[in-house]
Amino acid sequence: MTPGDISAFAQGAVVTVALSVAGILIGLPVGLGLALIRWARVPVIGRLVALYVSILRATPLVTLLLLLFFALPNVGVPIDPYSAAILALSMNTSAFNCEIWRAALLAFPKDQLEAAMSVGMSAGLRFRRIVLPQIARASLPALVNEMSLLIKVTPVLAVVGVVDITRAAVRIGAETYEPLPPFLVAVALYAPIIYGLVSLQRFIERRQAAAEAA
Amino acid sequence: MIHDFGIVWDQRGLLMSGLANTALLSVIAAVVSLLLGSALTPAMMSRRRAVAGAARAFVDAMRCIPFLLFAYIVYYGLPSLGINFDNWSAGLAALMLYNTAYMAEILRGAWAAMPREPIEAGTAFGFSGVRLFRRIVLPGLVLSAGPVVGNQLIQIIKDSAFLTIIALPELTHAASSIQSRYYVPFAAFITAVALYWGLCLVVEGGVNVLRRLADARR
Amino acid sequence: MNALPHPVLNVVGVSKSFGAVEVLSDISFQVGKGETVCVLGPSGSGKSTLLRCINWLEKPDAGHVYLNGEPVGVTSAGVVMNDRRLSQIRTRIGMVFQHFALWPHLTVLQNLIEAPLQVQRRPRAEIHEEALALLAKVGLHDKRDAFPARLSGGQKQRVGIARALAMRPDLLLFDEPTSALDPELVGEVLVVMRDLAHEGMTMVIVTHEMTFAREAATRVLFLDRGRMVETGTPDQFFSRPATERARQFLQRYAAEAVTAQR
Repeated sequence: MTPGDISAFAQGAVVTVALSVAGILIGLPVGLGLALIRWARVPVIGRLVALYVSILRATPLVTLLLLLFFALPNVGVPIDPYSAAILALSMNTSAFNCEIWRAALLAFPKDQLEAAMSVGMSAGLRFRRIVLPQIARASLPALVNEMSLLIKVTPVLAVVGVVDITRAAVRIGAETYEPLPPFLVAVALYAPIIYGLVSLQRFIERRQAAAEAA
Repeated sequence: MIHDFGIVWDQRGLLMSGLANTALLSVIAAVVSLLLGSALTPAMMSRRRAVAGAARAFVDAMRCIPFLLFAYIVYYGLPSLGINFDNWSAGLAALMLYNTAYMAEILRGAWAAMPREPIEAGTAFGFSGVRLFRRIVLPGLVLSAGPVVGNQLIQIIKDSAFLTIIALPELTHAASSIQSRYYVPFAAFITAVALYWGLCLVVEGGVNVLRRLADARR
Repeated sequence: MNALPHPVLNVVGVSKSFGAVEVLSDISFQVGKGETVCVLGPSGSGKSTLLRCINWLEKPDAGHVYLNGEPVGVTSAGVVMNDRRLSQIRTRIGMVFQHFALWPHLTVLQNLIEAPLQVQRRPRAEIHEEALALLAKVGLHDKRDAFPARLSGGQKQRVGIARALAMRPDLLLFDEPTSALDPELVGEVLVVMRDLAHEGMTMVIVTHEMTFAREAATRVLFLDRGRMVETGTPDQFFSRPATERARQFLQRYAAEAVTAQR
C-alpha cells in the first residue's frame, strides 16, 4: 500500500466514524421522542409514528438512501451525499431505537410512577428523575446493539458518493487490480469497532445480571 | 407526480420480477442458512475446545463484518484467488454464509435457554439420541427460536437490497433502473419501499402466528 | 358520626366505578388531627381504591376530598386541577405502598432526599440532616448508602415510610404496608407504625393486621363491596360489631388466626 492509500483509508475511517456518531446522536433522542409519543397515546400522531416505525423497520437502508438522495432534489430540496447519509442513518436507527425505548416504557412499573406522584412530582420531574434513569439503564444493552448494527450498514452510504472506508477500499482495488488486500484492510478497520460495541453490550448485560443477582 | 406513478405502473413487470427475486433470494438464503446454522450450533456447544473455538470464531467474525463488505469480498475479492462467481451465485453465497453465523447464534441462544426438565423427562421415558432431539428438543426449539428466526428473515430481506451493488436484479435494483431511465426517483423508490414493507408485514404475520402457538404451549 | 370542627381529611360522598363494576359507593368520613384510622374489609371491598382516591392517584367519579379544608383534585369552582396544582397538594399527603415502590436507581438516602429537594426545594443541608434522623428513627441508619435491591422486605418498607415522612406530610396513607412481607418481617414495620401513632401522626391505614388495628387505631372503618358498612372505635368494632357482615368478617379472621398459630 502506498502512503496515499493509507491516508485514503484514514480519511475513510474518519468519515465512517463521524457519520455513525452523527446517526447515533440524532437517532437516540429522536427515537425516545417517538417512543414517548406512542407511550402517551397522542391521538392521530401516535398512529402516524407507529406507521413510520413499521415502514422504516422494513426499508433497507440502501433503498431509503437512494430515495432521499434522488427524490428530495426532485421536489426542490437539494441535498448533498453526506446530509443524505446522516438523514438516512438517523431515520433508520430512530425507528429501531423507538421500539427499544417503547419496550422499556411499557415494562416500566406503574407503582414507580405512583410513588413519584404521591410525593408531588410534576410530569416533567417524574420523567426526568424517575422514569428516564431507569429506562435508560434497561435499554442500554439493546441500544448498544443497535449502534453496532448501524455501523454495519454504513458501507452502503458509498453508493451516493460518500467516501468512507468501503469506498476507499473499492477505489484502491480498482486502481491496483488487486481488490482483495484493500477489502481485508477495510475488514480490519470495521471489525474492532463493531467487536468493541458487541463486547460492551455483553459487559453491560453481565454487570446488570450480576447486580440483580446480588 | 401522478404521471410519475403512471410510469412506474407501466414498468410494473420489472418491479414484480425484482420483488420475486428479492423474495426468492431471501427465502433460499434463510432456509439454507438455517440448515447450515443448525449444523453449526452443536459445534459451538461442543465439548472439544478446538471445535467450539473454531465455530465461535466464525460466528464472531461474521457478526463483526458489515454484510456489504462481505459481499464485495466474495464477488470481487475471491476471483483474485481463482474462485469465480457470477453475481447471482456470489450474492446468494454471501447471504447464506453470512446468515449461517446469525442463525447458529440464534439457535444456540434458544437451546441454552431451554428448560432442562422436559428434556430430562424425555430421557427418563426412554428417548435418546436422534429421537430425543426430533421428538422432544426440536419442537420446543422451533417454537422458542421461531420468532427470532422470522426477524432474521426480515434482516435477510433488507440485506439482499445491498446486492443491488453487484448488479443483482432484485427489488432495489429494479427501482433504481426505472428511476435512472425515466427520472422518476420518488415514485420508483417509494413504490419499492411499499413493496418491502408489504413483504415484511407478511413475514411479521407469520411470526405472530408462531408466537401465539408458542404462548399457548408455554 | 359527629362532624369534626377542623378535620385534616374530609371525604364526602366519594364513588368510583371500573367499567360496570362499582368499587366505591358514596363513601364519606373525616379524620381529625393525630388520629389513626384503620380501613378494614375483605379483599375486593374497595379499601385500596378509597385510599388512592384520597390523593387522586385514582380519579373519583363523584364526591369530594378536602385536605385541611382545601379541595383535592377539583377546585372549588369545580374544575379538575392540572398536574402542577395536584402535585402541590400531594406533597402534603404521604403514601406508603404495598410493594414499597422504592426507586431502584437511587440509594436509600437518595430515595429520602429526592422529593424534598426536587419538589419542595428545601435547603439541602436541612433535608440531609432530617433524612439521617428519619433513617435512625426507623433503624436503618447504617443502610443509607445501600441500594433498595440489597434490602429485605421489612427494611424496604421502613425506608418507604421514612421516604413519606421526609416530606413532612399533614397526612400519611398506608396501602396494605405489610401484605407483601414474609410473616417474620411484619413486626418490625408495625413497630414503626405504632410509634408514629403514639407521636400523633395523622394516618389512614388499609390493613389486614387485626391485632394492630385493635391496639393502635383510634377509629376503624369497615368496608364491604364498596360501601362503608360500619365505623367506630376499635373496641366497639371488635367486641360488639353492629352488623352481621362485620361479625362474619371478624369470625373468619379469628378462625384464620387460630389456624395460623397452630
